[in-house]
Amino acid sequence: MRGPARLLAFIALAGGALAAPPPVSAGGPARANGVPATLGLPAMEVPADNPVTPAKVALGRKLFVDRRLSPNGTMSCAMCHVPEQGFTAHELATSVGIEGRSVRRNAPTVLNVAWQRRLFHDGREVSLEDQVWGPLLAVNEMGNPSIGYVLERIAALPDYRGLFEAAFAGRGPSSARVGAALASYQRTLVAADSRFDRWRYGGDTSALNAVEKAGFEFFTGKGRCAACHRVGERDALFTDHAFHNTGVGWRRTFGAPERTRVELAPGVHAELDRRTVESFSEPPAKDVGRYEITLDPKDRWAYKTPSLRNVALTAPYMHDGSLRTLEAVVEFYDRGGVDNPDRSALVAPLGLTATERAALVAFLRTLTGRSVDALAADARGAATAAGR
Amino acid sequence: MGTTQRMCKLIAGAVAVAWAGLAVADETCNSPYTTRLIKGQEDYVHVWTLGIAGMGDGSDKLVTIGANPKAKDYGKVVHTLSVGGRGEAHHMGFTDDRKHLWAGGLDDSKIHVFDVGTDPAKPKLVRTITDLPQKTGFVGPHTFYALPGRMMIQALSNTKDHGGVTGIAVYNNRGEFVAKHDMPAGEVGGAKGDGYGYDLAINPAKNVLLTSSFTGWNNYMMDMGKMVADPEAMKRFGTTMAAWDLKAMQPKQVMSVPGAPLEIRWSLNPKDNWAVTATALTSKLWLVKPDGKGGWQAKDVATIGDPAKIPLPVDISISADGKGLWVNTFMDGMTRYFDLSNPEAPKEVYTKKTGKQVNMVSQSWDGKRVYITSSLLANWDKKGDDNEQFLRAFHWDGKELKPAFEVDFAKEKLGRAHHMKFSAKPGAKT
Repeated sequence: MRGPARLLAFIALAGGALAAPPPVSAGGPARANGVPATLGLPAMEVPADNPVTPAKVALGRKLFVDRRLSPNGTMSCAMCHVPEQGFTAHELATSVGIEGRSVRRNAPTVLNVAWQRRLFHDGREVSLEDQVWGPLLAVNEMGNPSIGYVLERIAALPDYRGLFEAAFAGRGPSSARVGAALASYQRTLVAADSRFDRWRYGGDTSALNAVEKAGFEFFTGKGRCAACHRVGERDALFTDHAFHNTGVGWRRTFGAPERTRVELAPGVHAELDRRTVESFSEPPAKDVGRYEITLDPKDRWAYKTPSLRNVALTAPYMHDGSLRTLEAVVEFYDRGGVDNPDRSALVAPLGLTATERAALVAFLRTLTGRSVDALAADARGAATAAGR
Repeated sequence: MGTTQRMCKLIAGAVAVAWAGLAVADETCNSPYTTRLIKGQEDYVHVWTLGIAGMGDGSDKLVTIGANPKAKDYGKVVHTLSVGGRGEAHHMGFTDDRKHLWAGGLDDSKIHVFDVGTDPAKPKLVRTITDLPQKTGFVGPHTFYALPGRMMIQALSNTKDHGGVTGIAVYNNRGEFVAKHDMPAGEVGGAKGDGYGYDLAINPAKNVLLTSSFTGWNNYMMDMGKMVADPEAMKRFGTTMAAWDLKAMQPKQVMSVPGAPLEIRWSLNPKDNWAVTATALTSKLWLVKPDGKGGWQAKDVATIGDPAKIPLPVDISISADGKGLWVNTFMDGMTRYFDLSNPEAPKEVYTKKTGKQVNMVSQSWDGKRVYITSSLLANWDKKGDDNEQFLRAFHWDGKELKPAFEVDFAKEKLGRAHHMKFSAKPGAKT
């Protein structure tokens, strides 16, 4: 039985490499100066039947970056959740899977994914242990034909010999244990203790400058951002774990442009008409958001509220990657999103001034966690060690 | 002796022979180090073909087609060799002894080595090299360029993020990894490299290697419609060429060539010291020539079609005398001939629609035969009725392209026809 429990063990970052768990503390591992590395986050809930251990984390990290886990050896989790790109992908609005197949949504960051109550933009999965099989088996992501295919493949790789057995009390690869290992690794991708956290939760009044503090006021006040991206008194996940229609998805369904402006080279553009673009395009995949899971019409084109932690590192934005900058995101919400019959009542024109918008963006840039670079280096180290 | 020193010695020893040997070469886009060249009529055209799911066996394959009008198999498929899977079959290159053909997959990064010397009518797969990503961190082997005893391979992407930063790998003819060289990413000789790669071409007499720049796996594997609508993706195209010291394998100069410069062709006239390339996105011809100060310069010398309509010039094929250049533009299906008599001012003198989509173009050394194929990339090819897949052969009399034969790759359930190489029967005119 998988029951939530307080994080009993955690993996500390030491010199860019994951080390053995440190002594347990209620707030997570301690940095050298005694300040919790998870400052600003609530305690992590870990399934009782999958405690985080160094062996599972190391195995999960190896699996995460291993391109051999796709049939043609091209895709790993890390090819869309690129460690150096905030564990997402900066170069693509929506992901590209095996053999170049189109994925209809933007790759969300997996930083702090342990605190997500529902996974995927439409929330169709509820546990990290189970979620990992979605991309592994999706025909347009990693494209494996079956669970058994993946397990046989892992079992046949000499460099995995003994790793599952060491992590799981003598037991070899199984669907549950692949999920447990990958989930354990992802639970170490903790990136908090940002400047914002040190200001709000750490008592460091100088951690934010005046503009950034003003931005926070707009975030919780006139900007109404915190209505969905919630900030608590003792911690902040910057999400309400709910699903909202901002109009982005609706526009994608009903607002196909007649002309597409294409950047051919820096500063050089051309326009293509829709017929020309369609001549070399596969038909765009339909996407109705959360409705596809609930079949409740009020969920049409609604998508999960993402956390804003590390948001400066996770462009492009929205579930379809259609907004490239934080400035564009703030302008989008200032306009009230895109009007449509199911638009969330929480999304409405804000009437922000240019100064207020700039302050909001400045505030959002304070949410970058302290450990991000170390986490990226740690993941890349595993990839290099595997020669992949 | 270090890798660079060994390469120096190998290259230096072969320069004079190789460059002089060009006068009897067949195709006009081979490495100058390739020997055992065809002096006259080619017997076969080998087409590296992308598999299509649901068409035939769905596998990438080497398709061999009779090309000698005096043979019974003229215009017929005489052999197919499936390699298994769809790895985005793309380009090929002969080894220096012309006995083997190396063919790469831009997706799976496998390199298939075919024996075409023993019996070119029935190529055999003798080796598959799979360690390029592991040895180099590069993926997407594109150009295969023969060196003495070795193969230089220009890659397009990397294992880290599938972006465009990549490099050059060198293998020996036994398929063993020898060295890797990163593409220039910082400021070199006045301009900043983007780290991207596409084609490479050598002028041994000047000890210069030119490289061009395209885009990474994310883009070349993506549906083209999805890509052009993605501003982030469109920012990830190459904007540079680089001139390298060949013997030292050191980039000496980066040149600004915005718009994705692709195939590089040196003039084959021994008196010339210039090369041309075409920028795919901005539809321009560029001339690369000495800058008078010991370096090189790249200048835009002509437009190809109407750049505002993005005709997408893809392959180019230079004539043996350096006086003419075939250019295929994918989007409008046009095959264009440019008069290169004055390389500073090329003129388009002939244009013919040769397909609904056209990509590669290869001409025989005497310029009398021109071959065209249809596929650009699996996910960039057109859809529906426009997605013709073919090899079309033409006669060229200097005025008109006249159809010789055609193989319908869709009808014969072969796949997407891409790169072509010529061969001849052993002992026949070689």
